[in-house]
Amino acid sequence: MRGKHSLFYHILIFIIAQLVWLLLLGIWIYWYVSNYIVFEKVGDQVSPQLIYDVQNALPFILGLILLIGLSFTTSLIFRHLNVQLRITELYDNFIGNVTHELKSPLASIQLYLETLKQREVPPEKRKEFIDFMMKDADRLQSLINSILEISAQEQKKLLQNYQVYNTYSLVKELIEESCEKFRVAKDSYQIKGEALCEIVASKDALKIVFDNLVDNAVKYSTQQAKIITSVICNSKKVTILFTDLGIGIVANEQKKIFNKFYRIYNKEIPNVKGTGLGLYRVREIVKAHGGKITVLSEGESKGTTFKIEIPAYKALSQRRLKKLLKNE
Amino acid sequence: MTEDFTGSRILLVEDEESLAVGLEYNLIEEGYIVNWANNGREAIDLFEKEKFDLIILDIMLPYVNGFEVAERVRKSDPQIPILMLTAKTESGDKVKGLEKGADDYMTKPFHLQELLLRVKGMLKRKSWYTSTSQKQPVYKFGKNEINFKTLNCLHGNEKIRLTPQEAMLLKYLVEHKEEIVTRKELLENVWHLNPEVETRTVDIFIARLRKYFEPDPTSPVYFKSIRGAGYTFEVK
Repeated sequence: MRGKHSLFYHILIFIIAQLVWLLLLGIWIYWYVSNYIVFEKVGDQVSPQLIYDVQNALPFILGLILLIGLSFTTSLIFRHLNVQLRITELYDNFIGNVTHELKSPLASIQLYLETLKQREVPPEKRKEFIDFMMKDADRLQSLINSILEISAQEQKKLLQNYQVYNTYSLVKELIEESCEKFRVAKDSYQIKGEALCEIVASKDALKIVFDNLVDNAVKYSTQQAKIITSVICNSKKVTILFTDLGIGIVANEQKKIFNKFYRIYNKEIPNVKGTGLGLYRVREIVKAHGGKITVLSEGESKGTTFKIEIPAYKALSQRRLKKLLKNE
Repeated sequence: MTEDFTGSRILLVEDEESLAVGLEYNLIEEGYIVNWANNGREAIDLFEKEKFDLIILDIMLPYVNGFEVAERVRKSDPQIPILMLTAKTESGDKVKGLEKGADDYMTKPFHLQELLLRVKGMLKRKSWYTSTSQKQPVYKFGKNEINFKTLNCLHGNEKIRLTPQEAMLLKYLVEHKEEIVTRKELLENVWHLNPEVETRTVDIFIARLRKYFEPDPTSPVYFKSIRGAGYTFEVK
C-alpha cells in the first residue's frame, strides 16, 4: 500500500517537474523569438550591413538540443528511479522471507541444545536430536550460501569444475539425490531419456539447479509431488524437461519467476517458504552452461514444465571446450 | 495449592518437523498429552474432532495460516488459550495475532524454559477461570449481565462478546470487589506476568471494560481508578 502511494507521489513530482521545464522552455523560446524580431527591426535601421542569419540561429538550435537532452535525461532518471523502487520493494520482501527462513532452523537448534542441557535424554533420542540439529545446520548453510553466492564471483567459483558427463546418468543421479533430500517417494518420480549424449557441466552447479526444481515441485504441490524428467538429445543440444503436477503458473507470471526475489502467490497454497532466489540462481547457472531455461505451464493447477537446453558436448567449439575444461 | 496440569491436552501446530519433534518431546516430558498438526488444515480438523486445553500455533503454515486457524478456533471456543509461536517479528503481526484471538505471542528463537513457563501459566489461568466461572457463570451489576462461560454480555439491550482476556480481567475484578487491585497484581494474576505485557496494557483493558459496561465511560462508577495505586471495582 505504502509502495503504491510513494509511486503516485513520484509520478506527481515528475509531472510537475516536466510542466515547470516546459513552461521555462516556452518562456525561453518566446524571449528568443521576440528578441530576434526586435533585433531584426532595429538592426536594419541602425546598421543595415549586419549579417545575422546562420550565426544567430545557432544558439536557438543549441538551446533546443540542450532542452531535448534534458527532457531525455529526466525520463531516464525517472525510469531508473522506478526500477529502483521496485527492487527496494522486492528486497523488503526478501528480507522478511530470509529472516523467517534463518530463524526457524536456529530456533530448532536452540531448542535441542537447551533440551540436551536441561534434561536426561535417552541415547536413542539424543541421536535423533543431533540428526535434526545437523539437518538444520545444513539448511542454514545452504541458505547463507544462496544469499552470498548471488554475487557473480561466487557463482564463478562454483562453476569452475566442468567435466564431460553422460546427460542421462548425471540427471538421474542428481534427481535421485534431490528427491531423497526433499522426500519425494521413489514411485512418485520417473526419469526417461536417451543414454547417448554428453554435456559439459559443473555437477555441483547442476545439483543446485535440480535441488531447486525438486524443492519447488514439492512446495507448490497440494498433494504428494509427482515429477517426470525426460532427457532428449539431438546433435546440437540436450533438452531436459522437468515436469511436475503441481499448482502450475499463470501466464503473466511465467516470465517473472526467474527474476531475483520474485515469488508467486497462490491462494491454494499460501505461506510457501522461500527467498525468491532459487530460480534466479537456476537461470544464472544454466546460462553459464551456455544454455537457457524456459517455463511452460498451461495455467493454474495444470502443472509446470521447466525446459533446460544445454549445448551438446559434440556441438561445442574447440575454443569454448578449452575454456570450460581448463580447470580440470 | 500447587496445581498439577499433567494430562492437559495440547494441540501443537507447527510445520517445521525438527522444531515440532523437539517441542513435542519437551511437552510430553512435562506430562502433557500432545497432538501435532503440521499444517493449518490438519489443525482445524484435529481441533474439531478432539478436545484440547491449549493450542501452540505457528503463523506461517501451509494451506491455512495461523491467523485464520486462531479465528476459526475462537468462533467455536472463546476460552481455549492460544500461544502463537512465530519467526515473524514485525509488531504488526503481533497485534494481528492478539486481535485474531491469541492470548500470548512468542518469537523464534525462544528459550525452552520460558515457553514451558508460559504454557503452564496459560493452563493455570484457564483452570482458575473455568473453576470460578462454573460456580457462578452469570453475574449482574447495574444494567449489565455477564455470562463468564459463553463470554456473551448484555449492557442494557446491547449485546457484547468479551475476549477471553477481557473476561479474565473482569472476573478477577469481580472476585476482588471493593478492594484496591494494583496493576502489578493484575499483571501477575490475570496475565501471569508476561514480560512483554506492560502496565499500559492493563489500562487499555480497563478502558475497554469501561466502554462496554459504564453508563458514561468518562466518569466511571464501577471501574474506578485509584490514583497511585491501581483500580477498584465497586457496585453500589
